[in-house]
Amino acid sequence: MPLVIFVDDSETALASTKMVTNSMPIEVKQYTEAQVALAEIKAGMVPDLIITDLNMPVMNGFEFLKALRAVPATQRTPTLMLTTETKPELKQQGKALGLTGWIVKPFNPAQLKQAITRVLRLPA
Amino acid sequence: MMILNSVEELLQHIKEVQLDVIDLSGDSLMKMSGFIEKNGLEVDDDISTALQYQDIITQQLNATIEAIDSMKKSIEIFSHAYKSDEGLANESIEKLKEKLSVTLQDAKDKKSRFSGKTADSSVDDEIEFF
Repeated sequence: MPLVIFVDDSETALASTKMVTNSMPIEVKQYTEAQVALAEIKAGMVPDLIITDLNMPVMNGFEFLKALRAVPATQRTPTLMLTTETKPELKQQGKALGLTGWIVKPFNPAQLKQAITRVLRLPA
Repeated sequence: MMILNSVEELLQHIKEVQLDVIDLSGDSLMKMSGFIEKNGLEVDDDISTALQYQDIITQQLNATIEAIDSMKKSIEIFSHAYKSDEGLANESIEKLKEKLSVTLQDAKDKKSRFSGKTADSSVDDEIEFF
């Protein structure tokens, strides 16, 4: 099964995404700290899709994305930003860093499922 | 100066209440999501969105807690300057006003940034792909 990792400093936000992805044919790993996810990736974990929050302490979503792009295994891994931020300039910044897409919280569960299905090319 | 002490105490109280609300609402959501998972329940879009409000509430309250901390710090600096040299009081109060104004603007900006779709009806459910 494809591996999808969720990174959000809010455990309750992660609980919300878990409820949506429970029924999907994917393996899910959740992290409350981007630097921990990054360390596991550097140690050999290869996710098929990364979904991350933007505003997080220690390492924010953009810093995480930059770091991911510097690791050969995740240089091209599809990455979605899941955030409350809606400013176009932030979206542009994400796009320039190689972000795949932008999801605004609170997310619509059906849309999130569709996005994961689309990116991973899962059977609809 | 007594009035500033009272303001500081009031701010500290508001901060403590907000931290309690964050803990309680987070605990409430984790219990609900645990129940949903344990019983294999499917949540519909409305319930999923409602559950996500907890995260928005937490972010909003944390932003106001940051504003409270900033205000307290500014008041402390002012109080210290006032005690050291009362002649500097007028200058210090102007600085305090400026700092509180910056704090207010920052807090308002965060209110908007951390609201997501709940405060911006122009944002639809469509996920934006680049």
